[in-house]
Amino acid sequence: MSARNESDVRLARLLVSPATIVIALVAIFPLGWTVWESLHRHDLRLPWLGQPFVGLGNYARIIHDARFWGALGHTAVFTVVSVSLELVLGLIFALAMNRAFRGRGIVRVAVLVPWAIPTVVAALLWRFLFDSQAGIANALLLDVGIIDEPIVWFVHAATAWVPIILADVWKTTPFVALLLLAGLQNIDSALYEAAAVDGASAWRQLTRITIPLLKPAILLVLIFRTLDAFRVFDLIYVLTGGGPGTSTEPIALYAFNALLQNLQFGYGAAISVVIFLITFGLALVYIKGLGAGSATGVER
Amino acid sequence: MPSLPRRTWASALALSLAVLVTACGGEKDTRPVITYSGSAVGSQGETVRRQIERFAKLHPAIVVRVQPSPDDATQRHQLFVQWLNAHVGDPDVMELDVIWTSEFAAAGWIRSLEQYSPVRSDFFPAAIEANIWDGKLYAIPWYVGVGLLYWRTDLLDHAPRSMNELVQQAERAMRAPGGPPYGFVWQGARYEGLITTFVEYLGAFGAEIMNDSGKVVVDSPDAIRALTFMRDEITSSHIAPPEVLTWHEEETRFAFQNGNAVFMRNWPYAYSLLSDSSQSRVAGKFAVATMPAAEGGHPTTALGGAELAINSYSEHPEIAWELVQYLTAPEQQLERAAATGDYPTRKALYDDPRLAKALAVPIAQVRTAIESAVPRPVTPIYTELSGLLQIQLHRALTGQTSPADALHEAARQMNAVIRDSGLDEREVSQ
Repeated sequence: MSARNESDVRLARLLVSPATIVIALVAIFPLGWTVWESLHRHDLRLPWLGQPFVGLGNYARIIHDARFWGALGHTAVFTVVSVSLELVLGLIFALAMNRAFRGRGIVRVAVLVPWAIPTVVAALLWRFLFDSQAGIANALLLDVGIIDEPIVWFVHAATAWVPIILADVWKTTPFVALLLLAGLQNIDSALYEAAAVDGASAWRQLTRITIPLLKPAILLVLIFRTLDAFRVFDLIYVLTGGGPGTSTEPIALYAFNALLQNLQFGYGAAISVVIFLITFGLALVYIKGLGAGSATGVER
Repeated sequence: MPSLPRRTWASALALSLAVLVTACGGEKDTRPVITYSGSAVGSQGETVRRQIERFAKLHPAIVVRVQPSPDDATQRHQLFVQWLNAHVGDPDVMELDVIWTSEFAAAGWIRSLEQYSPVRSDFFPAAIEANIWDGKLYAIPWYVGVGLLYWRTDLLDHAPRSMNELVQQAERAMRAPGGPPYGFVWQGARYEGLITTFVEYLGAFGAEIMNDSGKVVVDSPDAIRALTFMRDEITSSHIAPPEVLTWHEEETRFAFQNGNAVFMRNWPYAYSLLSDSSQSRVAGKFAVATMPAAEGGHPTTALGGAELAINSYSEHPEIAWELVQYLTAPEQQLERAAATGDYPTRKALYDDPRLAKALAVPIAQVRTAIESAVPRPVTPIYTELSGLLQIQLHRALTGQTSPADALHEAARQMNAVIRDSGLDEREVSQ
């Protein structure tokens, strides 16, 4: 390596140092502090206990905490169900929007409206739609004759999930659709022409051309949506507060309760670290998948 | 055109002069500053501000500031705890919810008031009991809230004398032609309000959450009877709609106000709103009573309300105490009662004709309700215990588990938290 190269490297390091410092201050330092905090018993409301170092005590407590595992289960179910629905619906919308028709520009903008509404506002809206007395959901179901008397949605563990999932799907499908639409537009239309000449049906074109070539976009959607869905908080906080009982409580809401409601900083930090590790792990898996996906995309 | 820059210069000069003058003024003012923090919105906020201004006029040597804090109790609690953990000296005087005093006292965040020899017997005993930690008084009761049973005088001829009678009356009134769809509405969402409702049922069945020696007795047979009774109102007699399990105070008030319920459990604030014929369909058609008892229990109302306490890190505790005395004095309590409908904490005021005139609710019923009030458990870890109990109650009421299993589980979890908190048995029982 030449001296010239070394000085280049030094200059480069100097130039990125402000960015590195900012990242260290806003991301790495708080993360490190949270990990440190999670190794202590620190309960703001019990100051006479001090802040003793408990090692992995808080993590051991998590293992035996039924409410934590419940919350983790709820989060996983919510993530799988809502992300799958969003992916399927988003793909349908993207395919529709990819066709040339009059007013396509307006439709593309209009589809984004739910996504632009703040989550808390959207959640209040859905809460109102699913009100047992005045809500439109019961009115519709009664009219159609599916139910005989109004459902009190938020009182049963199973039905409370319905407005939550619907609200999330309604709000984020547009985002999924737009990402997939961008992917669709990268596909060379010559492929479809050739397939049509060869006599491939529309379904075959979809499964053999569109979906394989859309794989990078789909993986991107999965990364964004899974990580977002895993940290779901505001929607459920407003819609059900985690109830009835704790049967719709996601992991982020449980961490919030421990940290800010019960002011157990040590235990809350430990839960936060676990959430971080899970999302980090998911991101790693996806990034690996994405790398592979784009490589195959290029090959073809 | 040249006039514009000139005007800009002039205003810039005026602004800098103004800044200079204010800066000088600030420097000269060496008077001690004391700060009050509490609810600062609506008629409560206005009344407090007015009273504090008067106090400041009486004490020209002191500056008194009002530091607004969130109206939502949970948020204010969180903010106060963060300030006090950081040993901040202001606010000097804090408005505490009745369930926080023991927590703040045990943490050493608020001052014992014993050195000022407050007269405990001036106040209602339940309100004093809630403010005692380790035998010492830590806060002065400012106003009391009590749970009341609102009932419809156009549908019934007398208030129920027992829990069973309440159910029968509700069923009969609902069945009558044109009768309301709901019998009894109460606060059943998973929040602190559910505990206050539960405390009233517990008392009615002769049970309690924790006994006098600080032992968790929330899974006693009587407590299980009480919770079963609540659940049966929803699932078997159907006098309470399942919606109550998502309702807070306001939703129950709307139902009652629209004429949709025979009975409602709520705080005193609802009375004047329900009497307003421009928005209420039941104006002039309701009255209040104390919640009835079942066999083996006694009529019980949950004690709510606010207390005034002094920050341990206050630099001017003596002045802070002056302010606490002023705000809780009979005159100020009467003024507050007239402006906000809050009930005074001083017993003697209930013989004062001015209070009868100030309050919308008939004073004899208020007094009976306050005398049957019980505080929620007085323990520094109350909020956490309450959170655990709320979940189990809600699970039982929504049919996810049986009342007995729910209460056994609640007791188990509460005991674990108590054991883990470092409070020994003596301290929990104060």
